[in-house]
This record gives sequence, C-alpha cells and structure tokens, in this order.
Amino acid sequence: MAAGSNVVPVPMGDSTDVALAAAGDRQAFERLYRSHANRVYSLCTRMSGSRTKGEELTQDVFVRTWEKLPQFRGESAFSTWLHRLAVNVVLNARKTEGKEASRTDENDVGDDRWNEVARAPMHIERMDLSDAIARLPAGARKIFVLHDIEGYKHEEIAELCGITSGGSKAQLHRARLLLREALER
Amino acid sequence: MTNSDMTCEAFDNALPDYLEGTLDGSLRASVERHLRECVRCAGLVRDLENIRDEAASLPDLVPARDLWTGIEARITAPVIPLTARPERQRRLVPAWIGIAAAALIVSTAGVTYLLTARSMRTGSDGRVAVITPATNSVTPGATTEPAESVGASGSQGIPDQSATRVQTSTKPSRSGVPATLVSQDQSEPAQSDAIYSREIEMLQNIVKQRKTQLDSSTVAVIQKNLEIIDAAIRQSRAALAKDPASRMLNQQLTHTLDKKVELLRTAAMLPAST
Repeated sequence: MAAGSNVVPVPMGDSTDVALAAAGDRQAFERLYRSHANRVYSLCTRMSGSRTKGEELTQDVFVRTWEKLPQFRGESAFSTWLHRLAVNVVLNARKTEGKEASRTDENDVGDDRWNEVARAPMHIERMDLSDAIARLPAGARKIFVLHDIEGYKHEEIAELCGITSGGSKAQLHRARLLLREALER
Repeated sequence: MTNSDMTCEAFDNALPDYLEGTLDGSLRASVERHLRECVRCAGLVRDLENIRDEAASLPDLVPARDLWTGIEARITAPVIPLTARPERQRRLVPAWIGIAAAALIVSTAGVTYLLTARSMRTGSDGRVAVITPATNSVTPGATTEPAESVGASGSQGIPDQSATRVQTSTKPSRSGVPATLVSQDQSEPAQSDAIYSREIEMLQNIVKQRKTQLDSSTVAVIQKNLEIIDAAIRQSRAALAKDPASRMLNQQLTHTLDKKVELLRTAAMLPAST
C-alpha cells in the first residue's frame, strides 16, 4: 500500500464507506482507495503494459469512481462494480489513444513487432511472467489479463471489448503461445 | 507425428478448446491419446497450463508512489456539478435577474445580427472585391490576445482591434464573406472585429454581474474554458498573420470567436447556483 495516508483506519466494511463517499465524504473515499488501490493498479498496469500508464489510469479510475459513486446502487459488490469500471476506463483510454491502439486490437494477430521487442532481452536474462505480459501486443495482452489474471469469461470479454467470443479465445491462445516463447519454457 | 489418429497440426487446432475444456468427448479422447504419445505436444500443453496457473496467482502490484494525492487534487478541483449532491441547498434568487440576463442576451444577439447583416450588404453593394497575394507583412506579436477572466471588466480580454487587425487586404471578413474577397478599404475585418468585441464585452459584463449568483466551481470551469478559447484565438490570429488568405484559418478564427460568444451566452443564462 502506498505511503502517506493520514486517514484513521475505521473498522467498517466497504458498504459504509461507499455510502459515506457517495455523500461526499472524502475520508471515506480515501479509505476505499486504500482498500482497492493495489488491485486497480495491478489491473491498469497489466492491461496497459506500463507502470507509468498504470498509475495514470489508476488515478483516472478513482476520479471516475468518485463521480459515479452516487449512481452505485449496491446491486453488486462494490469491488465488482469498481473492477468493471476500471476495465472500462482502461479500455476507453486505449480507444482514445488512436491509431496505434486500434491497430493492435483484435486484428493484430499477425503483429510481428512483438518478436522484435520481446526477444531482445531474452538473450540477456530470463524474463519473468510479468515482464513477458507487459511485452505482449496490446490486443493479446488485454485479453490475457482479463481472462487468465482477472478471471473474466470470454463472453464477458467479448462484451467489454466489442469483439466476438471466438476472437477473445483466439487472442488468448495467441497470448499464451507468445508468453511461452518469451519465457523459453 | 505419432501412432494416434491425430496429427500435431490437428492437435494444435484443437488445443485452444482443449485448454478451455470445451472439446466434445470423442475429440477430447483423441487429443488425450495424442498427448500420451507426443512429447512435443505434451510439453506445449504443460507449458501453457503452467502459464495459465501462474497468471491466475500473480500477486497484486503496488504503486511506487502515493497516487491518492493526485486523485484528491482532482476530485476537489472545481467542476460543473451535473447532479446536485444531496446535502446541497438550492439558493433562490429573484426571477427578474434571469429575465434581465435573457433580455440582454437577446439584445446583444440582435445587435450582432443587424451589424453583421449591414456589413455584408455594404460589402456587396459598395465595394470592389479583390484578390491579392498574401505577401503583406504583419508585425510579429501584433496578434496576441491576453487571457481573460470571467467577468473581466471594461476592455480587458477584449480583442484589441488596433492590435489584432491584420495589415493586409486579403484578410477576409468573419461575417460570411468568402475568404479571398475583401473590401479595399479594409473596414470589414475591423467591423467584424468590432462586432465580436462589442458582443463579447457586453456578455462579459452580464457574466460579471451574475458571478456572485453562480457556483464558484462553475465560474472556475468557465474561466478555464475561456482561457482555452483565448489561446485558440491567439493561435488562429498568429497563423493568419502568416497566411492571411487562408480560408481555413479565417473560418477557424470565426468558429473560435463564435465559441467564445456561445460560452459567454451560456454562462450568462446559467441558472443561479443550487
């Protein structure tokens, strides 16, 4: 957990803090942030392939959460709602990144750039899984993170990403093969 | 290749569904038979399953710095409240203030229309349209426009006509005259500037009077947007100084000035702070 919190820990569940934060209580919202920051940061960093980008996106996610909290009706767990919101923020950020991002989406099956990038360090030292995931092509990385790390089903990924379920499966398999190659297993 | 009835290529094709556990019984049996006999394919499945399992158990990452500070700064920054927070109280203001603001806006819009229409009529009736090359020099920096503040009084922030007037006969009017057709006496660009300046000044005065009725965060957002628009105006004027005959640049400047007027009108018409 990041340092620097002045918030007095309060023995409450999310639901109380969610209600307080939705009414404008920033301390309650900070407690929610402290509880969920690492998970959101992990998602953002792994999906974007960059710690710097992950930090920016994490902040975007929580700012968006603050704005949307009054609309949270508690129909699902707060963590589930937050996680889905985070995925949407990351995916929307990628859409706005323009041509580069769209080029690496579902249609990037033949992307050879990955090999150039990913192979280079492999001859120096063995890459760990996190490094290898970061070096995946954006489209494959997105699907791999959502499916294999975050546990989304292909149907959910298809809906979130605006692709087909089959496309999601194909990208996942491709990602795993690329990771295997990178890890020299 | 093995003695089983499945080739490695067929196995590769079936592999995604095998790993998903969605293969039907007979195909799955073939795959498993192949796996028992093929070292290459067995190794591939083992590796992919390991990757899948390892990914599922990756620990959470921890940010290298405290991100809360940035988040807090953003959520406390002024924004236009789209939905009122429950604890906020609506502050009632006399209805005549809104009516007066609306009347003033209608008045300024009417004046703009009349002046613009007159300008266009005069241009087509009394002057000769010419096309001249964009070679006239313009003093660098002569097109700059200071950033404005909401409710700035007097001429602060209003385009300085003497400074912003491009010294070329090719500068088109922003009142709808085609880009390369301008009056020889150069009065039309000046008139166009004057119209916008007058309109903007009047609207700014309205906004200034209403400033205390508006939410401070709303005022801040308007201020920020005005600064952005003013920057765009400055850029357009600077570009026009280099290429006075550019229709696109003139349209861009007109569009930006219109945006400024539109924003000020909107600000003048905003309901009082809730």
